[in-house]
Amino acid sequence: MAALAFTHQNLLQFTPKLTPSKPKLKSKRTKTRLSIQTLTASPQASFTDQFVLQLADSLEDSLPSSSSPLPLQKLRDDSSEALLSTQWPSRKDESFRFTDTSFIRNSNIKPISHPPESLSFLDDSGDTQFKSLNFIDGFLVDSSFDSSNLPDGVYVGSLSKLSSEGILKRVSGFLGDFEWGDLFWSVNGLGAPDLMVIYVPEGCRVENPIYLKYISVEGGNEGSKKVPLSNPRVFVLVEKGGEIGIVEEFVGKEGSECYWTNSVLEVVVGEGGKVKHSYLQKQSLSAAHIKWTSVRQESTSTYELVEVSTGGKLSRHNVHVQQLGSDTATELTTFHLCVGDQTQDLHSRIVLDHPRGYTQQLHKCIVAHSSGQAVFDGNVKVNRFAQQTDAGQLTRSLLLEPRATVNIKPNLQIIADDVKCSHGAAISDLEDSQLFYFQARGIDLETARKALVFSFGAEVIDRLPYSFVQKQVKDHVKELLQSPR
Amino acid sequence: MAWQIQCTASAPLISPPPSLKPKCLPPHALVFTLPVARSSRFRSTHTPSPRPVAASLSTVESPTSAGGLDDSSKTPLLEVKGLTAVIAETKQEILKGVNLVIHQGEIHAIMGKNGSGKSTFSKVLVGHPDYEVTGGSVVFKGENLLDMEPEERSLAGLFMSFQAPVEIPGVSNIDFLNMAYNARRKKLGEPELGPLEFYAYIYPKLDLVNMKTDFLNRNVNEGFSGGERKRNEILQLAVLGADLAILDEIDSGLDVDALRDVAKAVNGLLTPKNSVLMITHYRRLLEVIKPTCIHIMEDGRIIKTGDSSLAEVLEEKGYIAISAA
Repeated sequence: MAALAFTHQNLLQFTPKLTPSKPKLKSKRTKTRLSIQTLTASPQASFTDQFVLQLADSLEDSLPSSSSPLPLQKLRDDSSEALLSTQWPSRKDESFRFTDTSFIRNSNIKPISHPPESLSFLDDSGDTQFKSLNFIDGFLVDSSFDSSNLPDGVYVGSLSKLSSEGILKRVSGFLGDFEWGDLFWSVNGLGAPDLMVIYVPEGCRVENPIYLKYISVEGGNEGSKKVPLSNPRVFVLVEKGGEIGIVEEFVGKEGSECYWTNSVLEVVVGEGGKVKHSYLQKQSLSAAHIKWTSVRQESTSTYELVEVSTGGKLSRHNVHVQQLGSDTATELTTFHLCVGDQTQDLHSRIVLDHPRGYTQQLHKCIVAHSSGQAVFDGNVKVNRFAQQTDAGQLTRSLLLEPRATVNIKPNLQIIADDVKCSHGAAISDLEDSQLFYFQARGIDLETARKALVFSFGAEVIDRLPYSFVQKQVKDHVKELLQSPR
Repeated sequence: MAWQIQCTASAPLISPPPSLKPKCLPPHALVFTLPVARSSRFRSTHTPSPRPVAASLSTVESPTSAGGLDDSSKTPLLEVKGLTAVIAETKQEILKGVNLVIHQGEIHAIMGKNGSGKSTFSKVLVGHPDYEVTGGSVVFKGENLLDMEPEERSLAGLFMSFQAPVEIPGVSNIDFLNMAYNARRKKLGEPELGPLEFYAYIYPKLDLVNMKTDFLNRNVNEGFSGGERKRNEILQLAVLGADLAILDEIDSGLDVDALRDVAKAVNGLLTPKNSVLMITHYRRLLEVIKPTCIHIMEDGRIIKTGDSSLAEVLEEKGYIAISAA
C-alpha cells in the first residue's frame, strides 16, 4: 500500500513554501483549533506527510498571483495550516477503510492553474431548460449566465465580483468553518482558485433552479500517469425563509479521461429556509472525483438532496448535515451505479442536536461489474437534546456480477430517549419471479434484466425535482446500462 | 392412453344440428342449460337430449378414434401427451402424465382440489423455472413447446394470466406493456411503436377492463388491489392477444362486479380461432365464460372430462363423487 508508506523520515519536514510569506490573517478560532490539535492528536497525526506537502506546494503554485478577497485568503491560510498535520488517508483510517485512494496518490497530480484558452466546445444550444453556470476545470466561467432574471437581492457569481459589503460579511462568517473536514476538504480550501457565491436574501423564493455545470477539459489519457486536479468551490447562503433549487452536474469533456475533480459545496440554510439540491456525477470512468457537501440548517429549515452518481474510477461523496435548530427536516436520496471497474462511495453524516428533527435517507446502489465496488457509511447521530426525532434510513444494494462488492455501514447513534428511528439494509440480485413475469409476456431475459436494473435506480431518479433533469439522467443511466462492458 | 380427450368425439351418436357443423363456433353459441345435475355419462346415454350440444360434448372415457371425421376439420392448437413434471428444487413429482388436446376456438376448464396440479400444469406450459419437465410432449401450433424459452412461448401465442402477479416497482404499466407489445411487433417484423403511438393503441383497450388512464402510469402491480391485478392481467391479454390464453384462477379474490368485468373482457376477446384454458375452483366463472369442456384434475392427472354439467356435480357432491365414479 503506497498510502501507508510513511516513515519517520517524513517527520516534521517543512517546505519553506508553506510557511506563509504573505501577511496572514489568523483568527482566534484557528489558534484554538491548533492548540487542541497539539493536545489531543495522536502522535501520528503530528507527522507531516511529505507527499501532502508537495501537493500543497504545487497547489499554491497554481493559484493566481493577483490578490484574492479576504475570506478566500483566510480559507487558504487555514487550509494550508491544516494540511501540515494531515496525512494522505490510508485504509487504516476508519473513514477510508473500504476506499482505496492510492490510485490518486500514485498519479502525477497537476493542479490546473488556468482555464482552457478556448471555450468553443461549450455548446449553448440550449438543450437544458435553464442556462447553466459553468465551471471549467474548476474556474467559474459566468460570461454566459444571465442574472437579470433573478429576483432582487439574489447574488449568483464569483466572490471577487461581489460588491455588497453586507453579503461579503455574512459569507466570511461561515466560510470554511467546519471541524469535520478531511484532507480533501483542505486540498480544496487551499487550491480553489475562486469561490462562487449563491446568496438568497430573507423571504426570497427563487423560482428557477441554479444549474451549475462542472466540466473537466484538461485530462491525461489512461497510459500517462498525469492527473490534472481542479478544485471548484461553491458557497450557498439562504437567509431566513428563502428558497432555492441547486443542480450540480459534473462531467468530463469528451476525450478527457484521467483527471481529478475535488469539489466542495457549503450550504447554510436560515430559519424556515428551503434548499433542494440535485447532484449528478457523470464523470469519465477513469477519473477521480471527490466531493464534499457540508450543510448547516437552522430551525424549521428543509434540505433535500437527490444524488445520482455513475461516473469516476473512484468517486466519493462526503455529506455532512448539521441541524442547528428544532423542527428541521433533512432528506437524502442517493443512487450510485458502478458499470465498470469503479468505486462509488457515499459517506454521510447527519447530526441532530435539537427537538423534533426529521431525517429520511434512502441510498441505493447497483454494482454491475465484477471489479466494481460500492461503499456506504451512513451515520445518523441523534444527540441528547434531539428528542422526538423522526429518523429513517434505508439502504438497498443490487449486486449483478460475481465478485461485485458492496461495503455497507449504516449506523444510527441515538442518545436521546424519546425518538422514532428506523433503519434497514438489503443486498440482493434481481428477483427471478420478476424476470419471469417479463419473459411470460414475450420480453427476452436481457431486456428484462435491463428494465429491472433501471427501475431499481428509477425510484431515486424520480425524486429529482425537475422533470428535464429526470429525463436527462434517465437517458444517461439507460445508456450506461446498455453499453457493453 | 385412455384419456385422449376429444370433446366432440361422441358427436356421431346423435345427428348434430346444422348449426354445429362449423366446428369453430363462437363460444356463446354453446348453451349449457341442462336443468338437472346428473352424471354426464348417464345423460348422454339415457337422455337423448333435445340439446345435442351438451350431448355431443359428453364424456368420452374410452380411448377414442371415433372423432377422426370431425377432427380432420378441426385444427389442434395444443396437444399435451403424458406430461410429467417435478418441482425443480425438491424433485417432487407434481404432474404424473397429463393428456389434453385443445382445438382452435374451444374453451376448456380445469377444476380440481387444491394441490392437484392445476396451477403447476399451467406454469409448466409457459415454462416457469420452478418446474422441470421429466417426460411427455407438448405440441403447440405444430411446434414442440418444451424446446422454447418462456418468451418464445409467449411470442408464439401462449398467454398465461398469473394467479398472483408480482409487483415490479419502478416500471410503469404502460412501459411494461409497450415493451411486451414491441417484442411481438419485432417478432412479426413490424416497426416498434413509440410511447405516443402506443398510447393511442392502448387507450381504447382500457375501457375493456373498466380501468382509468392513471392505471397506466402506476408501476406494474405495485399497490394494486386483487381485482386490479386481475384486470391488469386481462389488459395485457387484450394488448398482446393470444392463440391460447391460460387463465389461472382469474376469478379468485374478485367481487361479483369485478368478475363480470373480467369475464366480459375475456368474452370480448374470443374469436372463432383462439382458445381459452381456465383454471378455477368455482362454477360461477363457468357461468359467465361458457366452457366447451371441463376437466377434473387429481393427483397430477386429468381423471375426468365432461361438459359443464360436471361443474354442477362438483358443486353438489364434491370431488369425492368424481373420484369415486
